[in-house]
Amino acid sequence: MDVTELGPHISRRFNEDLEGVRNRVLQMGGFVEQQLTQAVAALIEGDSRLGEEVARGDHKVNAMEVTIDEECSRILATRAPAASDLRLIVAIIKTITDLERIGDEAEKIAYIASRLATMERPADRYREIKHLGRLAQQMVHDGLDAFARLDADAALRICREDRVLDDEFESIQRQCITFMMEDPRTIRRALDVVWVARALERIGDHAKNMCEYVVYMVHGKDIRHTSLDDVEKELRAAGRS
Amino acid sequence: MSPAWSFALARLVGAFAIAALVGYFLGEVQLTVIVVLAGYLALNFARLYRLERWLRRRRTEEPPDFRGIWGDVVALVMRIYRRKQFHKRRIVQLFREFRRMTTAMPDGVVVMSAEREIQWFNRNAARLLSLRRKVDYRQRIDNLLRQPEFSRYLSDGDYSQAVVIRSAANSDQHLSLQVVAYGAGQQLLLVRDVTRQIRLEAMRKDFVANASHELRSPLTVIAGYVDALADDRSIDPAWRAPLEEMHRQAERMRAVVDALIELSRLEASSGEAGNELIDVAGMLTLLRREVLALDRHPREVELALESASKLLGSEQEVHSIFSNLISNAVKYTAPDGRVDIRWWTDGAGGHFSVRDTGVGIAREHLPRLTERFYRVDPGRARATGGSGLGLAIVKHALQRHGATLEIESEEGEGSRFTCHFPLRRVAARTALAAND
Repeated sequence: MDVTELGPHISRRFNEDLEGVRNRVLQMGGFVEQQLTQAVAALIEGDSRLGEEVARGDHKVNAMEVTIDEECSRILATRAPAASDLRLIVAIIKTITDLERIGDEAEKIAYIASRLATMERPADRYREIKHLGRLAQQMVHDGLDAFARLDADAALRICREDRVLDDEFESIQRQCITFMMEDPRTIRRALDVVWVARALERIGDHAKNMCEYVVYMVHGKDIRHTSLDDVEKELRAAGRS
Repeated sequence: MSPAWSFALARLVGAFAIAALVGYFLGEVQLTVIVVLAGYLALNFARLYRLERWLRRRRTEEPPDFRGIWGDVVALVMRIYRRKQFHKRRIVQLFREFRRMTTAMPDGVVVMSAEREIQWFNRNAARLLSLRRKVDYRQRIDNLLRQPEFSRYLSDGDYSQAVVIRSAANSDQHLSLQVVAYGAGQQLLLVRDVTRQIRLEAMRKDFVANASHELRSPLTVIAGYVDALADDRSIDPAWRAPLEEMHRQAERMRAVVDALIELSRLEASSGEAGNELIDVAGMLTLLRREVLALDRHPREVELALESASKLLGSEQEVHSIFSNLISNAVKYTAPDGRVDIRWWTDGAGGHFSVRDTGVGIAREHLPRLTERFYRVDPGRARATGGSGLGLAIVKHALQRHGATLEIESEEGEGSRFTCHFPLRRVAARTALAAND
């Protein structure tokens, strides 16, 4: 599917409106990506100032969500879009909600990071968290790329990656439980680490949701709560016919 | 008229005449003329058919072998076709050359339309920015390069400098991006991997910061002993002068090390300065009093406070800006000279200026004045005991406040240093009232 071909329109202004709101979503995505990267960096490097900065920046994400939401409502009300345009608007409204939640999770990580910065860092320097963070960042980044390119295949591939993130979260949780049982003094920090891991795992879920909206936008199919194999089979069959 | 045309015309007229003559003898003028003309038409029609068929398959077929005017037409077509082929080959060749050239270039290149849609990019750009060939054509560049710094760079529209961002694919990689306008509204985006430079720069800054800290402690010990020795009455008076000199030099070295530490701290603190409310009037009054308390100072040090507005920024840094500029002015002005300090605000923001009637600075030194350890007159500067870092500190601190430094100077007449703070750094009067 051609990215720029959002359907022929009598009104050029309409096209510009759609393009504009799409760009804004991606801009918001870029900011959220940065928030996430910096939040994880603040935790790993023990940089409390960076953590506070990220936590303070979350209001910008919220403001962006509100603006884009209003813009979408305005387009719905005044232009009454149909077919692929309508799907684009619906997908955007859902995507920004997930982006905003990713921003919230990043804020949560940043708060914990600025608190943990005052404590002694563990010997492994949060290696597991670093890895998990890397995976989550990659998912968000690839998800936004898929949104920009309207690439449903990539979106489906990213949906599959979510499982890896879930497994990693499980293993971090198990590891933390072991630590807590060995040495009760680490309980406080281990709990915080579990919270961070949990936030990253949730970010993966939100990224997955975003990818599902991309598939919806491109193929007009709602793939939520269905197994990915079925979806792929169905899409391939649709493509052949 | 070309000979081919005359010949064709003559043939037609001849055929017509013969037909008429034969028809006249046979008594069927009309019929013969019609038959002959029909034959002529059929002949031409056949040739037109062959010509059309050849034009259609001209890549594989030889041209038809005509004589007369049709032959001329075929020859003309052939010539135009060959010329076009030649140009096409040349363009293709040029294009290949261009592609090879841009591929060989160590930098990434992205060609963008005026709307910042990607039109073309070379292999290095694809690698550095993880762009995908064909798929990403006509996509807006800021949709794929979503780093907030880059969006800000694009929306600011000031392309005189490059912007450095972290690569999305690999956060350890730093990329320098610069937009260059060319052609009719088209833009070129140059991408360069500057990871090595950034790392070297960081290493250099770390080195300076560490070295200054390491130097400070031994220096304190030395200065302490020198002080103690200078006060010791049992020491031979012949040592008095050398000890005093040692004390002066140790003081100077301490000033240099302190300035280095402050400079590296300024460099290390990223982004904009904070937003403390700074009472400029109070600070300047205090600074003036300090100058007047010195043993040696210009006769007149005037302070003109034309605005009660306060400044938003880092108090420590602003103090260091003001005190560095004022002490410079005092240092380079003779005791019978005068120094004017002024603070005022207008629609553009807040301004601070120091004017002196000192030695002045030659024009050629002005651009390099804020470089660290740059000396206009090495001998004199050492005698006055400056660290050589004052203006570098001023420049860095001003940058962190989004402010600029303007230097005007006339050799022998004096100089004027003016700091221009942007409007957002000036506390509004309402805020002032609320704080009072």
